[in-house]
Amino acid sequence: MRDTTPGAAQASGDTITTAEAEAVDVALAASGDGRAFERLYRSHVARVHSLARRMISEDIADDVTQDIFIRAWQKLASFRGEAAFGTWLHRLAVNVILARRTSVGTERGRFATPEHTLETIPGRPAETELSMDFEDAVSSLPDGAREVFVLHDVAGYKHQEIAVMLGIVPGTSKSQLHHARMALRRHLER
Amino acid sequence: MKDQWTERLSDYLDEEMATPEREALEAHLAACVECSTTLLELRRVVGRARALDDQPPATDLWPTIARRIGVETGRRRPVRRFTVSVPQLLAASIAVIIASGGTVWLAMSRRAGPLGQQPAATSTAAVARVSWTSDTRYDAAIVQLQSALEDGRKSGRLDSTTVRVVEHSLAIIDTAIAQARRALVLDPGSSYLNRHLAETMQRKIQLLRGAAALATART
Repeated sequence: MRDTTPGAAQASGDTITTAEAEAVDVALAASGDGRAFERLYRSHVARVHSLARRMISEDIADDVTQDIFIRAWQKLASFRGEAAFGTWLHRLAVNVILARRTSVGTERGRFATPEHTLETIPGRPAETELSMDFEDAVSSLPDGAREVFVLHDVAGYKHQEIAVMLGIVPGTSKSQLHHARMALRRHLER
Repeated sequence: MKDQWTERLSDYLDEEMATPEREALEAHLAACVECSTTLLELRRVVGRARALDDQPPATDLWPTIARRIGVETGRRRPVRRFTVSVPQLLAASIAVIIASGGTVWLAMSRRAGPLGQQPAATSTAAVARVSWTSDTRYDAAIVQLQSALEDGRKSGRLDSTTVRVVEHSLAIIDTAIAQARRALVLDPGSSYLNRHLAETMQRKIQLLRGAAALATART
């Protein structure tokens, strides 16, 4: 079933899909059209901001999101349309986030987190307490485990891709993912 | 409590186990309640992760982004900095001619009707006067800009991928224009449709002007 833009004429058979409308906006934005770029921003900001919030922190998610869209504006000319714009933007976002992480010097030893550190994440609250929000639980994970978990289980990247992005081996990515899941399972409501 | 299989449960869940190992683990799961329970919980974690909602930022970040990239919010006046070489400078003179053609068309459109106006300034009464069936000035501007695009393609200043993207986008815009015109046949008094048509025609002009500028700006 085709996804069509609102208001497309129903009488005709050849409607414009959302992807096609976005392709037009990408072309316009690449030629310097700020309004077209604003439409792209509106379409993708939630996904990008959520990625930044989960990968780094709530505190600097706004700042990182701005940097991501500014980088996207600067790099639009290099977008060749081989993948969907959203896919291209998401990968660019990951790169900006990881660069920011490196720039603040927090990357060292992030994947050497011993398991006992993961186990210190607060467990499922007592029945009388409010259940800890799953997002909060994710944010409580050690940096390395959180990044792998977000990239694999939330964003859908493969271990091989994650290994390249993070500069680790796929085995480390698998191990971190398992530890993250094991820590998070205690936050699920039964 | 953990056994030798606990660490492998995520691999099993992600279908990243070789067949012999998988069969051995499945035999173990049939007998081990703890591992079966853990596997179930891991499945729920994965399901929960996939179901997370993306939330936009609490405040609108666009005004700051627009300011930092040098575009004015709500306007189509990009401010992009180019480093221009001597050959590019020569090419830029061609761009001025092309841009002038577009500007002339826009100026004439403003005198004749609201086709060249920004949507915010378009009154309902004025929109009703849009001549959407044909506009020779618009057609002339389109021909002029398409000619510039073709020159850019032939001279190699625009690579084939860029030309393909632009042509694809033009085809989409043409479809939108055709749809708006067909809809106006059924509802000629619709100010929305008239405005939509005018905006779409403007987008075509903008796309072509952008492509023509790219063609002349590249060495």
